[in-house]
Order: sequence, then C-alpha cells, then structure tokens
Amino acid sequence: MINPTYILQAKNLTKIYGENVIFQDVSLDVHKGETIVIIGPSGTGKSTLLRCLNLLTPLNSGQIFLEGQEITAQGVDADQVRQKIGMVFQNFLLFNHLTALGNVMIGLTKVKKMPTEKARQKALYELERVGLLDRADHYPAQLSGGQQQRVAIARALAMDPLVMLFDEPTSALDPELIGEVLGVMEQLAREHMTMLVVTHEMGFAREVADRIIFMEKGRIVEQGSPEDLFERPQHARTREFLGKISELYGKKAK
Amino acid sequence: MKKFFWLVSLFLLISLLFAACAQKPQSHLEKIKQAGVIKVGTSADYPPFEYVDESGNKAGFDIELMEEIGKRLGVKVEWVDMPFDSLIAGVQEGKIDCSISAFNYTEERDKVVDFSEAYFTAEDAFLVAETFSGSITKPEDVAQYKVGVQSGTTQDDWLTNVLQIPEQNLSRYDRADQAALDLKSGRIQVMMADAIPAKALAQKIGGLKIVYTGVLSSGPMNIVLPEGDAELAKAINDVLKQLQQEGFIDQLAQKYFTE
Amino acid sequence: MVSQFFSYILQGTSVTVAVTLVALPLGLLIGLLLALFYNYGGFWVSRLAAVYSLVMRGVPPIALLFILYFLLSGRLINLSPFWAGSISLGIISSAYQMEILRGALQAVGEGQMTAARAVGMSRLQAIRYIIIPQAIRLAIPPWSNEASIVLKDSSLVYALGVPEILRRAQQLSATTQQPFLAFGAAALIYFILVFLVNRGLDLLAEKTKLPSATA
Repeated sequence: MINPTYILQAKNLTKIYGENVIFQDVSLDVHKGETIVIIGPSGTGKSTLLRCLNLLTPLNSGQIFLEGQEITAQGVDADQVRQKIGMVFQNFLLFNHLTALGNVMIGLTKVKKMPTEKARQKALYELERVGLLDRADHYPAQLSGGQQQRVAIARALAMDPLVMLFDEPTSALDPELIGEVLGVMEQLAREHMTMLVVTHEMGFAREVADRIIFMEKGRIVEQGSPEDLFERPQHARTREFLGKISELYGKKAK
Repeated sequence: MKKFFWLVSLFLLISLLFAACAQKPQSHLEKIKQAGVIKVGTSADYPPFEYVDESGNKAGFDIELMEEIGKRLGVKVEWVDMPFDSLIAGVQEGKIDCSISAFNYTEERDKVVDFSEAYFTAEDAFLVAETFSGSITKPEDVAQYKVGVQSGTTQDDWLTNVLQIPEQNLSRYDRADQAALDLKSGRIQVMMADAIPAKALAQKIGGLKIVYTGVLSSGPMNIVLPEGDAELAKAINDVLKQLQQEGFIDQLAQKYFTE
Repeated sequence: MVSQFFSYILQGTSVTVAVTLVALPLGLLIGLLLALFYNYGGFWVSRLAAVYSLVMRGVPPIALLFILYFLLSGRLINLSPFWAGSISLGIISSAYQMEILRGALQAVGEGQMTAARAVGMSRLQAIRYIIIPQAIRLAIPPWSNEASIVLKDSSLVYALGVPEILRRAQQLSATTQQPFLAFGAAALIYFILVFLVNRGLDLLAEKTKLPSATA
C-alpha cells in the first residue's frame, strides 16, 4: 500500500486554527535524496506544514508516513520521530547557554545517550562539515547570523536525520551572510540529503531543487521541475507570483 | 477573587477543625516528672520580672521564683523565651508546660488557660516626663493625654476597655522600654505600666517620674497553666504556699524591687 | 561590657543563617516546581499554582508561622519551633520565588522549547537541559533581592521562641536601656549578612554570565 521508494509521504493533510484554514488536503511524496523547494506568498501555510511534518504542531486530519511507517498513528512516540527529522528555523534558535559545540552535542548526549567523547567527535565532525570547526567554543551571541544558522544545520545533521526541513533558513540574515548558508545547503543536496526547503531564494530553488512546489492559500497550486515551473508555469497565479518575486529580488536571481 | 475567598475559607475551616479535635488535656505533671524537666515560657524583656543579663543568662523575680519552684518539684527548668503575645498560645497548645511572665488574671485569658494562685500583687503606675505640666489626680484624668502602653498587657486592656480612651490617644508598643523612650522624647505624655518595672524604667532612663500608683488594671500575678490540668495546678500551688510561708517570696521582692 | 553585649547578639547569627539556609532552598524548590506548573502545566495545574502564589503572598508570614507551629505541629506532624519557623518562611518565599522564576522561564522564550523538541527532546528534557539553565541565569539578580528579604524575615522565628539576632537585641535593649547600641549591633550584623549574600550572588551572576559579543 505504501510505496517504499518514498522516504516521506503526506496524505491529505489539513490544519485549521479556529476558523482559519491554514492548509487543506495537502499531499506530498518525497523521494529519498530529493531536494524539494516550497515557494509561495507569505501566510500560505508553508511553515506550518513543515512543523506538522515533524509533529511539532498537531494536524486536524491526514496521515504522514516516514519510511513507510505511519508517524501520525496513535501511540507513536513523537520525540523518537523528531530525532529522525532535522529542522532548521528562520531565526536559528540555537541554545543560548551552550557553545557551538555544546549545541551540536546536546542532542547526542541527552537524546541519543551517546558517550560524551564519542558525541564530541561526532559534533566536531558536523561543525567541520559546515566550516565552523574554529568556532566550536563560541557562544551563539559571539557568532554572526550566518554562522549561527550553520551551527543550527550542524545540530540537526548530528542526529543523522532521514529528512531535513528548512523553514526560511536565510530570511533573517543580512544579504552578505546568505551565501554561506546556501552554500552549506547546496553541499548537502549534492550529498543526496533528503531536504524540504521553504524559501524565497529563487536562485537556490532554480539551481539546487529537484522539484519545486508552489503553494498558495493552503493548497498546492502547481509542482514540477525548476525548468517547468520557471519557464512554463501552468497557472496564472504561479506566473504572477514568480513575476513579483523576481521584481523583488532583482531580475537575475542569484 | 471569588476563588480566593473560598480558598481562604477552606483554610480557616481546616484550622478550626484541628483546633476542635485537640486531644483531651492530660496532666503535664507526670510528663514533667518523667522527663525531669519543666518547660517554662517567659518573655525575657521585662525587667525586673524577667530579663536577660549582660552575659546572656535569664534573670529576674519570676525567673528566680520559678527556678525555686522547679527545685521543689524535683525537676529542672527549661526556659523558652517567646514574645509575650505568643505565651498564652504556647501553653494552650502544649508547646510549653506553663508560663511565668508577670501575667495577671483576665477573664479572656481564663477561657483558654488556667491560673495558679497569686504569687505577687502588682500595682499600676502612671509615668510622665519630669517636664510634664498637666495634672493627674485620679486615674480617669489620663484620658485627656496621649498615653503609651505595652501592647497586650493588662494596662492595655484597662485603658482600652475600662477607661475607653480614644484610639488616637493611645499608642501601643511591643516593649515597655520603647514606650518609655517615646515618653522621654515627648511623643507620648503619659505611660501606664506595672509600678515596679515603671520605677526601674524611670531610674534607668532618667528624666521621668511617677505621678500615680494604685491597683487598677490587674492586681495579683499568677503563673499561667494548661486549661483543666488540676494536678499540675495543685503541685505548683502547694509549692507557692510553702514559699509564701517561708518568706522566700518576700525576700525575692526585696531583692528585685527595692533599690 | 560592650563586647559581651555584642557577642550575645552575635550568637543569634547562627540561628538567622540556619533559618535562611532552610527557608531559601526550600522556597526555591517549591517555587521552581510551581513556576514550571504555571508555565507548562495544563489549565488547571497552572491555575492552582497561581492561586497558591496569590494566597501565600497575601498571608502575613507571622500568621503562617503560628498556624504551622501552634495549630498543626503536634497534631499532623511534630515540628520544633526552628523547623516550623523555617518551613513557614520557606513556603511564603516559595510564592515570591515562583514569581521570579516564572518571569525568567517566560523570558527564555518559546523558541528554545521548539528547538529542543525539534532535536528530539521530550518536554521534560527540554525544560531540564535547555530552559532551566537559561532561566536560572536570568533569575539570579531578582533572586538576590529575595535572599536578602528572607534573611531579614528570618527574625520572625523569634515569635516561636527561637533566639535569633533581633530577639537578642530586644532582650538586651530591655535590660540595658540602650536600644541604639542593641539594635545598632543587630542592624550591623544584618547588613554584613545581606552584603555578603548579595556580593556572593553578584559573583555567581558574573561567573555564569554568557559572553555577549565577540571579544
């Protein structure tokens, strides 16, 4: 019944806050190693969708499957599920009282119960991966926004997740710091990490994404390869949105 | 706010419940004899009846009297120093076996504790500054002045309930010496206290004089005993009678009350 | 005579310090639990914590002291005056410490909790490893203030006959008619104690302070 080639599957997800329908009947199949970029106007439920996918926010209805196992079923330990789904937030959300190294280590020692020395080695490896080995003993307040976000990525990677969710990872950054974070994400894509990225960075979307999903008003309007979506959008709303975005971010994205 | 009210009510109700189901008083005498110790409460801030001397030991008329009573009962006295206002509650709740602290009989106190036979009769005195220009010939005269008194004493009771002095003319103090100092500085014009300590206060502080002495508020002093404990009362009353007959108490009075 | 005098009052210091050492940690423990209940408990648990705080901050400490010692002790539990007094003060202080900690927990922010959950931590793990370490740091300065208050409120145990600094000063004031000397000595001792506590906590705050920018 469940296709095992999909690492993450969402079926008919609906989220309602009081009277507000955040998104409705959203279905999504994610292949292993695929990079999906979700675009769309603000307030269309993209961020909430990501939060629902790793069970930070409860759904009203729908099912989510991770490696064929339903994680929305009764009795599933949500904390266990979240270990397998990494998440990177718009405003970094590093643990302020811990160094860069401490931030990456704490999930390993406290959640995975890894011995301290082993966790240290693993954390140092992840920091090296994001190019911040020399900042290991710096506290978040001593790091630039771009560096903080890279530590946050390392923190998520350390847990060896099956999927990484990025919730507008660059929108809180000064323009000159965006590149270093996108660079790390591109590298992850090349390493075939499965990623779901909500972003307004069209250059990144065009160059890195395997598939682009355009969402509006809580629904998936259109999805396809970057070429299809950027060159031959099927829906008027998609064209309109892409037009506006390129106006905003400059004709030649990237 | 409503919830708050209910919670407080519940709280009070529980407190009352505990008060109501207090165990039937049984004689402390046996317990005291067994332990070889009698726990006696006093408020050691009322010289010359009870106070702490400069090396930190308890001393005074009541103290020495009680030590003698203890000796005659064949037990050691263990002193528990508490503020005067806590003493009755202490006896009532069995935290101390009895209390000697220049207590006078009052009806209200009698409702919750018992009293021994009188061991000494106290007179009241009105104390004024030497510069005082008013006149006090009879006790009622003090009602027109600003009067100070130690809170919770029989003098306080007399001024409030018998004389019914206007509240704004009455200042209540935790301790007698505070009142005496205010008297000297002119914040109050008259101070009412037991005559003997009043005399002592006047001498120590200076610039004060006694304008009236007489038995007004209290009269005899008694030891405060647990309610309904006839055995302990009899034992202590017997010793008091002995001490009276032997002249021990007169000697003590001589020692502490005449300079 | 003056030195004898001073040493008698000074002997009360150990009582004052002991009462504070019981009341303050007890208040911290209860206060922290209640603050957690308030912030992370459900609707009713949080309400209960709020009512507790409201009631305990409304009760005069001396009333609680009397209720615990004269009414409850000997019936429910057997408490010496020292313990009854220290526990009462701890209970009162817990309400104030709850308010301090609840503010500190809120100041840490929702985001830290979200991030901790996203790494796979349970709520309890997140509170323990992420929220509390940060909240405690924020709470030290106001907590230092509460520590001074408890230190001074510890004098209330004299009502139960525990001879601490203030009671001894009262006795000597009555005996010697030298209230300025007696209460002056008491005030000096309190000042030194409060000063030491505040300095100590300042140092702790300094030591645990997180670096704010690149050096």
